[in-house]
Amino acid sequence: MSRRRRFLGNWHNLLALLIIGGFLCVAWLAPWLAPQEDPADPTAMRTLPGYRPTALRAPRPPSAEAPLGTAPGGWDVYYGLVWGAWPTLRFGLLTTVLTAGFGISVGALSGYAGGLVSRVLMRVTDAFLTFPAIAGIFLFRTILPEAVETPHNFGQAVLHFLRVDPVMLALIAFSWMPYARLIHANMLTLKQTDYAMAAKTTGASSLRIIFRHLLPNAIAPAIVLAARDVGGMVILEAAFTFIGIGAGLPWGLLLVVGRNWIIGPGGNPFLFWWVFVPATLALILFSLGWNLFGDGLNAVWNPHSIKRGQRI
Amino acid sequence: MPILLKFIFRRLLAVPVTLLIITATLYGVLMLAPVETRAELYLPRGNSNNPNYNPELVRQQIIKEHGLDDPYPVQYVRWAGRLLQGDWGWSPGFRADILPALLARTPATAELTLYSVLLLIPLGIVGGGIAGARPHQLGDYVFRGLAFLATATPPFILALVLLGIFYAGLHWFPPGRLGITEQYLIQDSAFTSYTGLLTVDGLLNGQPRISLDALRRLVLPCITLGMVHWATLGRITRAAMLEEMTKDYVMAARGRGLRARVIVWRHVLHNAMLPALNSIGLSTASLIMGVFVIEVIFSIPGVSELIVASARGAPDTPMAMGFALYSVGLVLPVMLILDIVQALIDPRVREGVTDL
Repeated sequence: MSRRRRFLGNWHNLLALLIIGGFLCVAWLAPWLAPQEDPADPTAMRTLPGYRPTALRAPRPPSAEAPLGTAPGGWDVYYGLVWGAWPTLRFGLLTTVLTAGFGISVGALSGYAGGLVSRVLMRVTDAFLTFPAIAGIFLFRTILPEAVETPHNFGQAVLHFLRVDPVMLALIAFSWMPYARLIHANMLTLKQTDYAMAAKTTGASSLRIIFRHLLPNAIAPAIVLAARDVGGMVILEAAFTFIGIGAGLPWGLLLVVGRNWIIGPGGNPFLFWWVFVPATLALILFSLGWNLFGDGLNAVWNPHSIKRGQRI
Repeated sequence: MPILLKFIFRRLLAVPVTLLIITATLYGVLMLAPVETRAELYLPRGNSNNPNYNPELVRQQIIKEHGLDDPYPVQYVRWAGRLLQGDWGWSPGFRADILPALLARTPATAELTLYSVLLLIPLGIVGGGIAGARPHQLGDYVFRGLAFLATATPPFILALVLLGIFYAGLHWFPPGRLGITEQYLIQDSAFTSYTGLLTVDGLLNGQPRISLDALRRLVLPCITLGMVHWATLGRITRAAMLEEMTKDYVMAARGRGLRARVIVWRHVLHNAMLPALNSIGLSTASLIMGVFVIEVIFSIPGVSELIVASARGAPDTPMAMGFALYSVGLVLPVMLILDIVQALIDPRVREGVTDL
């Protein structure tokens, strides 16, 4: 209770909850905020009625039919922002939860088992740390789509069944390492504590000791990292979409279609502000909300400031 | 410094293991794809010039010839052996050998990486040091505000806004790697390429004009790239400074009458730098990832040219594999340099007492 009160007593944290809650509300209320013409149409991008998207069409300033103007090609910015909230939240949360889950499992196993298992797992973790996720995304995008469409072996069948986006899969496969290292280090110290020994002498199984006694005490910094990662993953995805290899979430796409109009004539970057400012603000606000949330959790769980090597 | 040499040697010993794990993983991922996809790794050079060329037939031939239906370890060893011989395959998209195509674009990428690392590490440590030395004062607030902005703004947007202001508006810092006049100069036969880094080669050839132009074009990419990591580095330095300031040795130094400036900048910062450098070392891969993204936005003809172009064309498996391996080759040296810097600073690291 006191922790909750401490968390809610700080305006930073309230702001974080407000921002995250705001995005959830927008995602939830999208059909009312920006009614679709065809409710069966799942796409988050649309052009104004009577427009067909052509790359040549110039952006139009905000008007009654498009409250935030249209991006080049006639795309409705407001509609894209509202309908982009849910895919963005889903992508950020799903990627982070899976990444953190995998990293935490590796770290817990390695920290608890010790010995050879730990040495091997940590070598693998360190090796993966040298691999930039962007190369993984490029690789997965190249080889997976064909394989997933017509599955031939077990691995492909699983991927086909889950309909995993190659970009998300690559981000998960190549960003779990900080979690593993964190949990590994924490487990090593916790394993030596009296209560862990006591649990062992009472005959508790390894799984029970890990999940019931050790992990709950070791997991706090990983959750803090995960909260910050939700925003980070979305920003990263937007950057990849921008250079043409991302998953194509709507906010990033809005920036892609508008990229040639960001620098207006005469070098004024704000002449066509509605082309990129709303989407950018949405991205910044999203990452800000999750970062503040992470900082808040950190302050509550770990009052003695940041420990060494914790923020990787 | 024999201890340092021993340290470097110990670090180098880990490199083959890392490469083994990475290549085994990459080929494992490739095993998920159909066998025809794997066959592309062995495409013969310049094949499609022949009018009777039949891609299906060629693939079936490759599958039989290279035993691509064999178990994974057999295939992996065969492929890794070919990599070791320097044969990284042939890219149908670029109609070129992979390794030379990557190596030809390396200097541009290396130059950008080098200058941004040189810029961001001192600035991050000094920034975090100023903020941590006097918390909750003007310097601290300025640092935290800047660091906050740097982490919250997506780098690619920052890059475009900076280009809008400083290139389109003020004409100070153009994008690209070299201007047209300078490009003619370096294509001249009198110009010898010693290092491939234009800023250095220009000086070595006695043509400072080239170096200046190249430097001018590096300003914006380096700033954009450095921002995020600068902020992270500074924040960790700041936090570590705050923690160090409460230690007994600080009080002892104060008791002996050392000036506050000496205590903070010599003793406290020295200890606070380690966790900061360690975290930068661990995030080298994301730094390199940033380099690739920034290259695209500033139209610098580095290695990321290859990914963007292939992403638009047909799937190019050999290029994707080659690029994945190559990017590890970019990360490892940077990591090694950062490790050496840490070993220089901290005797515990170079003696191997604390593990990195």
